[in-house]
Amino acid sequence: MYNSSRQGGDPSRPPALLYGAFQLLAAAHRPLQTPAVPHGTPLSSRRNVLSAPHGTVPRRTGRRSASAGGGGMAGWGLLARLGARLRAAAAPGRPLRAATSGHSWQLGFAARPVHDATWWHEHLSEENVQFLKKATAEEYRAQTASKLCPLKDEPWPLNEWKPGSVRVGVVAVKLGMMPIWTKSGKKHAVTLLKVQDCHVLKYVSKEDSGGKTAKLLVGGKNASPFFKSEAEMEIFREAGVPRKQKVTTFNVTDDAIIKPGTPLYAAHFRPGQFVDVTAKTIGKGFQGVMKRWGFKGQPASHGQTKTHRRPGAISTNKVSRVFPGKKMPGKMGNIYRTSCGLKVWRINTKHDIIYVHGSVPGHTNCLVKVRDTKLRSHKDCNKNPPFPTFFADGDEKLPEDLYDEDMFQFTDPSVTYA
Amino acid sequence: MAAACGRALLRGARPALPARWFSSSTCRRSSDGGTAKFQPPPKPVIIDRQKQREDRRFLSPEFIPPRGRTDPLKFYMERKDMIQRRKVFNIPEFYVGSILAVTTADPYADGKTNRFVGICIQRGGRGLGATFVLRNVIEDQGIEICYELYSPRIQEITVLKLEKRLDDNLMYLRDALPEYSTFDVNMKPVPHLDHEEIPVNKLQVRMKPKPWSKRWERPKYNIKGIKFELPEKKMKEAEKWKQPWLEFDMLREYDTSKIEEKIWKEVSEELNK
Repeated sequence: MYNSSRQGGDPSRPPALLYGAFQLLAAAHRPLQTPAVPHGTPLSSRRNVLSAPHGTVPRRTGRRSASAGGGGMAGWGLLARLGARLRAAAAPGRPLRAATSGHSWQLGFAARPVHDATWWHEHLSEENVQFLKKATAEEYRAQTASKLCPLKDEPWPLNEWKPGSVRVGVVAVKLGMMPIWTKSGKKHAVTLLKVQDCHVLKYVSKEDSGGKTAKLLVGGKNASPFFKSEAEMEIFREAGVPRKQKVTTFNVTDDAIIKPGTPLYAAHFRPGQFVDVTAKTIGKGFQGVMKRWGFKGQPASHGQTKTHRRPGAISTNKVSRVFPGKKMPGKMGNIYRTSCGLKVWRINTKHDIIYVHGSVPGHTNCLVKVRDTKLRSHKDCNKNPPFPTFFADGDEKLPEDLYDEDMFQFTDPSVTYA
Repeated sequence: MAAACGRALLRGARPALPARWFSSSTCRRSSDGGTAKFQPPPKPVIIDRQKQREDRRFLSPEFIPPRGRTDPLKFYMERKDMIQRRKVFNIPEFYVGSILAVTTADPYADGKTNRFVGICIQRGGRGLGATFVLRNVIEDQGIEICYELYSPRIQEITVLKLEKRLDDNLMYLRDALPEYSTFDVNMKPVPHLDHEEIPVNKLQVRMKPKPWSKRWERPKYNIKGIKFELPEKKMKEAEKWKQPWLEFDMLREYDTSKIEEKIWKEVSEELNK
């Protein structure tokens, strides 16, 4: 059954390629034998010894790769090193890496598969799971409550806004769109962005980040801590804040740095100022050239043979190559894009909602990054913002709704043209 | 309303005379002959107008949120704005088929206002962007204007005649004879009592000869308000496009009763504040 050299194999058996795979899998699930290899033997002879005596372990037709020949559970390290050495010998260009652990993917060939990944409650009882969930929820509440008074928690020194300062932005959830009217009766569409559980997570100084400015990591919208590794949860633990769904970096000038753990609110922005909103666009999957790049395609009739949505010519004959970056079909969407220069029409401080002009990339309920515009034409509109951010426990008591002066508020009577 | 109350009182406040004083048995014996059973007088039918008015709750269709994965908070914020507008400006109850007069602010018109009278043929949109289309034929020209219910340019909406029709969408009036879309611009409002049921106009409209803008005889439009004078063959051919399975499609079901209840309570509380 294991003799792979067969002439004119009968039709009931699978073809040789598949058969080889079957053998490999069969071998992987059988107990393997340690080869008796003395330590000093050269590689060439080791390769022969690696294959166990005839009849015990199957051999594959085709190339003599380092198949699942020998090595028991005890000899994993040895086998791993041998395997790495063999592959290095076969492809000398590859660097020789010491395979220390016995994971099957590090061995470079399918030995016995090791299933060591578990989900967080695989080995917990039902009661423990429920308890952990409740405990996390309580911890979240306690953490949020402890961060509600940032001004009393020894905040970092508050500076005055200067024309060159760049302050932090905010992470928000896109709720949907709505019409609004101006005082002259003109209709505009606005997007509602809700600032949900936004906290500053970490401060990275200019020197640490290696960039031109200091960076502030900001996270928004609480999420479950259970499916994340300890290393990822470190940032949140240090800041004393629940795990966030989206973490972004803002390049910030040194006078606008904020202590990690400070909550950020919608009142960080004011009506009348302009913002840039960045988010991942809606993914459209693999799309053709007409939808992706707006090509015109070909006519529907008049003799076109099977060519209606194709790109046509992709280059000329003289160039005799295709330029890199040629527009061709491919995956469309699901990339970060920014809408710049969007006016803020209204801020709702009770529910932390920003009403931003026009449309914003991303689907409903996606997380977006909002920050002050970098456009030079709107430089004058962003003067004297709440700097470095709006503190809810400060002296300023804002009304529930802040409107832009041009916006029609529904408490006013109908518009008339005198 | 006072008159209605008065009427209720009148009917209810009958003197509580025990029926035996006017026992009809003595009278009956002479007429019937045999021993007839005592027939008590018929109970007074008390029509409580107040309760009728309350039972007849009307929630404007634009308050009902569409099906989707949007956060209910977004609909709540829109509803707050809609209620705020309704407190300042009265948007009356009307249906598709009612005749309305709308005055809007127009910077280019004389007197800066523009009044249009027409029959409502369609109510579309949800939330603040809700619209309604009014149709009229003025000097042999059919005109349709789509107004936004919550636009601040609208200064007055009056319901001249409140009634319903057999269909939810009267777009077929475009292909009907013009007499069915003509309404007098200066017509007087027809009074309608608060507590009465909305009258349904079972008018069946006669159409212009085919071709029409849409094939209204097809079952997908489900039109009851046209008097089809097409030959039987054409009507039978139209039945070919029937999709009887749609009625049983569970994924298309959208039960709005509970949502409507909640929203109705919220809206009526806010408006009565």
